[in-house]
Parts: sequence; structure tokens; C-alpha cells
Amino acid sequence: MHYQGDYYWGYYMPTRSIGSDPMERVVKLASEKAVVIFSLSSCCMCHAVKRLFCGMGVNPTVYELDQDPRGKDLETALMRLLGNSQPLPVVFIGGKLIGAMDRVMASHINGTLVPLLKEAGALWL
Amino acid sequence: MANHRVGETGLADSGPSSNHHHHHNIPYAVLHGMNVPPSFMHQEGSAFDFGELEEAIVLQGVKIRNDEAKPPLFTAGRPAATLEMFPSWPMRFQQTPRGSSKSGEESTDSGSGVNTISSKTENQVEPESPISKKTSSLDQQQQVEMASDISRTGTSQNQSAAAKTPQEKRRGSTSEKQLDAKTLRRLAQNREAARKSRLRKKAYVQQLESSRIKLTQLEQDLQRARSQGFFLGGCAGTVGNISSGAAIFDMEYSRWLEDDQRHMSELRTGLNAHLSDSDLRIIVDSYISHYDEIFRLKVAAAKADVFHLITGMWTTPAERCFLWMGGFRPSDLIKMLISQLDPLTEQQVMGIYSLQHSSQQAEEALIQGLEQLQQSLTDTIAGGPVIDGMQQMAVALGKLANLEGFVRQADNLRQQTLHQLSRILTVRQAARCFLMIGEYYGRLRALSSLWASRPRESMMSEDHSCQTTTELQMVQPSQNHFSNF
Repeated sequence: MHYQGDYYWGYYMPTRSIGSDPMERVVKLASEKAVVIFSLSSCCMCHAVKRLFCGMGVNPTVYELDQDPRGKDLETALMRLLGNSQPLPVVFIGGKLIGAMDRVMASHINGTLVPLLKEAGALWL
Repeated sequence: MANHRVGETGLADSGPSSNHHHHHNIPYAVLHGMNVPPSFMHQEGSAFDFGELEEAIVLQGVKIRNDEAKPPLFTAGRPAATLEMFPSWPMRFQQTPRGSSKSGEESTDSGSGVNTISSKTENQVEPESPISKKTSSLDQQQQVEMASDISRTGTSQNQSAAAKTPQEKRRGSTSEKQLDAKTLRRLAQNREAARKSRLRKKAYVQQLESSRIKLTQLEQDLQRARSQGFFLGGCAGTVGNISSGAAIFDMEYSRWLEDDQRHMSELRTGLNAHLSDSDLRIIVDSYISHYDEIFRLKVAAAKADVFHLITGMWTTPAERCFLWMGGFRPSDLIKMLISQLDPLTEQQVMGIYSLQHSSQQAEEALIQGLEQLQQSLTDTIAGGPVIDGMQQMAVALGKLANLEGFVRQADNLRQQTLHQLSRILTVRQAARCFLMIGEYYGRLRALSSLWASRPRESMMSEDHSCQTTTELQMVQPSQNHFSNF
């Protein structure tokens, strides 16, 4: 699991800042790494999704929004994106939105998750 | 009657005219092992007059009553009712006139006995019942029994109350008779013991009655609940304590089970009739939507009462035993099916195994998430410094709400697994597969009810038989061991 160093410590380097629009930030962060998870450190479902990827041998990039000073904005943006009042955890693979836990589970069961991971370079045979 | 003891008790004056019953040399009480005061044991020669004994007791009671100057508590009507059962009995016990009061002053050692008797002045007509029960053809037996019973069960008032015979009046002169203290004490104690046992019996009967009423009420409630369609097949605990969300789901689930039966018979006939693939596909798809429906219902149920789902109170005991997050465990189901789904193409085999693998990974992730939830909850409510109890509880409640999410994800996993199976398999295979699933759970449910109604005694005898065989096996080597000696 890879936590964005500067982000994780709540320290936002100006060179990395794109804009004040949270949605843009979401998109930017999601496309930087193969597997991106927006999560809450205290949420147990978030913990479950992290364990799922680790169990598969994937090293996801996790953004704990409760530890980010602008996390609330990102959370609101994700809410709008998903049309859901509880957007977290949410998973992006290869910059593409996969969805919340139920979508991730469904895609794993129906066999579409692994090819996506391979395509994004997060999983090798 | 030259009865020295009798004389002491004031019976000496009674003439033979008063005796209208048999005379035996052996006192009746001794013959029948009654508790006879030793004073009456020493008679020899002349036959003992039991009638005079009873009269003495009665008169003693009368004297006490008069001494105490208490109003007679006897109402004339009641003893008459019982005594009339035995019209052949002489009516010996009646209220006596004042003339009997002389008997008390003459004795000294009956003084203490008087006090003990007079202190017990409650029951009215009770002595009549034990008396009336003992129906005997012999007057003497009756009268001795009456005497001893009255002395044991009645109070002084009762004794006097029971006294109705005309002879009583004739015997006014016998009022001087006394009983010694020991006898009186014993009689009083017997009375008290009898009274206590009567009260205990009454209390017990009352308790039985109220329990019976409660039982019929419970049965009525149960009947009413059953008629309203509650699912009680070996699960849902006490009807009164079920939540409305749980009750609704139980009803829906029982209806779903009935539909399940229908779908299964459709599958069976479809397979046996060798329908075309397209026709069979319709049946299979309807079965899948049948399962989709229960998952939909479970979403609402999880929101309403997650504990009802997670504890498996909606299922039968055997199902509950293997319950995983409020339902079946997908990898276990696939394991069950794998051997029965032959023949499978290689691609299908790979598909099934990868399905099993991914469901295992998903299950593991959910288990770890649930573990973290439990840990977090424990941290919240376990010991340590309690800064704000209510706040702690509020936080804990918030965490507990996450259970719903896990049950939903588990159901989601189950639904996706069934869908994936139908994609991997051909139509015929899928039809067989779903039939197998339905039959498996049907058998599990049947196992639950069989288990509930199994005969316990035969189970025990099986245990014994196992034991004896091992004992026999153990005997053999020891015998060989000892054969050398």
C-alpha cells in the first residue's frame, strides 16, 4: 500500500496543486496511479477494500480523506460523482472509476476486475 | 366404669347407658397405630369406652370455649351437611349448655393444655371433611376416628360446634373430665400441623390454577401469531419479542420458500421433459430473478433489523449453524456444487475455480473488515477512562450501524456468485445446478426439524451400546494377560 507521502502528512506541496476545484483534484489524483482508493482511516468497509487488493497482491494508493485538510471537499465531490451520500470507499483503476465496494465486489466475482488490474499494470501474472 | 384414668378425666360418671358402641379389650387407637396418649393405655379388664374419650375431648373443648367466653363461631348449618352423609352415626356433638364448665376447674394438669388449644381458634368446619372421608361401617371406628380427628384438626370451637348429639346434653355431668397437658399439647400440635398443610395445599392449588390460565393465554397468543403468517419453522424465538422489520421479513421469507418449491418443481419437470434450451432458459432466468427477489428483501431487512439477519433467526437451526454473514458462504456453495456439476468443459472448470478463488478473496476481505469493526467497537465500549458515557455509546451506535453494510456486501457477493454460475454453465447445467442448491437447503431445513423431533431415549441407548463394545474389547486382552497365571 502506498500512501502519498506529502498528502498523507496533510502537507500539501504547492507545486502539486492543480486548482482549487475538488473534482479536478479527484480526477488528477485518480489518474496518477494504477489503483487509487479514496478512504477514511476509521471506516471498516474501507479497510475491507484495502485488504481485498492487498490480498490479491495489488499495491493500491490510498488517500485518507479524514486526514486531509481539504478532504471534506474531495468527499463532497465524490458524493456528486457517485450520486451517493456515502461515497467512501471508492476505487479508481487506471484512472477509471470502478465504484464503491459493491461494484468492486461484483467486478471481482464476474471476473472483470483482474483484467482491469493487469491492464493498469497493477497486477502481473 | 371403674376406670381410674377415666375417672381423672371426668368420665367416671358416664353410665353404661351412654355406651351404644362395641367394646374391645384392645383400644382401637392402639390397634391402628394411632398416637394414643399413654393415659389411655393402661386400661385393663373392663373395656374402654371410646365414646367417653371423645366426649371428654369435646367437653374439654366446650369448657375452654366457655372459659374464654368467646362467642360460638359455629353456624349450625354446616356440620349438619357432612354429618348427614352418615345418618347411622349418632349425632353426638352438639353445643352444650353451661353445665359443662365445671370440668375445667377440677383438673390442674390440663391447664396448660387448655391454653394451647384455645390459642388455635381459626378453622370452623374443616374437621368435618377428614371425618366424612373415613366411611366405616363400625360405629366404634367412626366415633374413635371422629374423636381423634376432631382433636387433631378442630379447634375447641369446632369441637363444640360439631357437638350436636342429644347425648351431650345428657352428659352435662361429665363436664368435670380433664385431659392431661401432654395429650392436649399433642392434640393441639396435630391440629396446627393439619391446618398448615391445608393452607399449603390451598396455595399450591391456586398456583396451579394461575399457571394453567397463563398457559392457555400463551397458546392463544401463539395461535393468533401463527394465523398471521409468522415464520416459526424452528427459528424466530418468542413471537412477542420479534421486531416488526424482522416479522415482515420472516413472512416474506416463508412466502419466498413456497415460491422456491414451485420453481424447483418447474426446473425438475423442465429437465425431465427435455425442453428446448430456450424454454429451459426461461425457467432458469425466472429462478435467478426469484433469488434476486430475496436479496432485495434482505436489503430492506438489513436496514430494519440487521441483527435478525446476522444471527440467522430467520433460518432453521441447521442452516443457522453454517451461517456466514447472514446467509450462505459462496465459496462453500461452489465447493458443494463442483463435484456434482460434471461433465464440465475445461473452460468451465477454469471458470468455476476462478469463481471460487475470487469469492474466497472477497469473503476474506469482508471478514477482515468485520474484524476491524469489532475491534473498533470493543475499543469504544471496553474499559478505560470513561470521559462521557453517553458520547461513548453514541459513537458505538454509529459503528454498529456499519453491520448493515457488511450484511449487504455479503448478500451482494452471494447474488453475484449465483449470476456468475449461470453465466459459466450451460442452460441444462444451470438448471441442474439450481435444483441442486434448492434441494440442498431443503434437506438442511428438513434436518433441522428431524433433529428437533428426534427421540432422546434411543440416542442414549446407542451411547450405551458403544460403551459396552469397547468394554468387551478391553476385557479380551486382560483375559489373555491373566491366562498365564
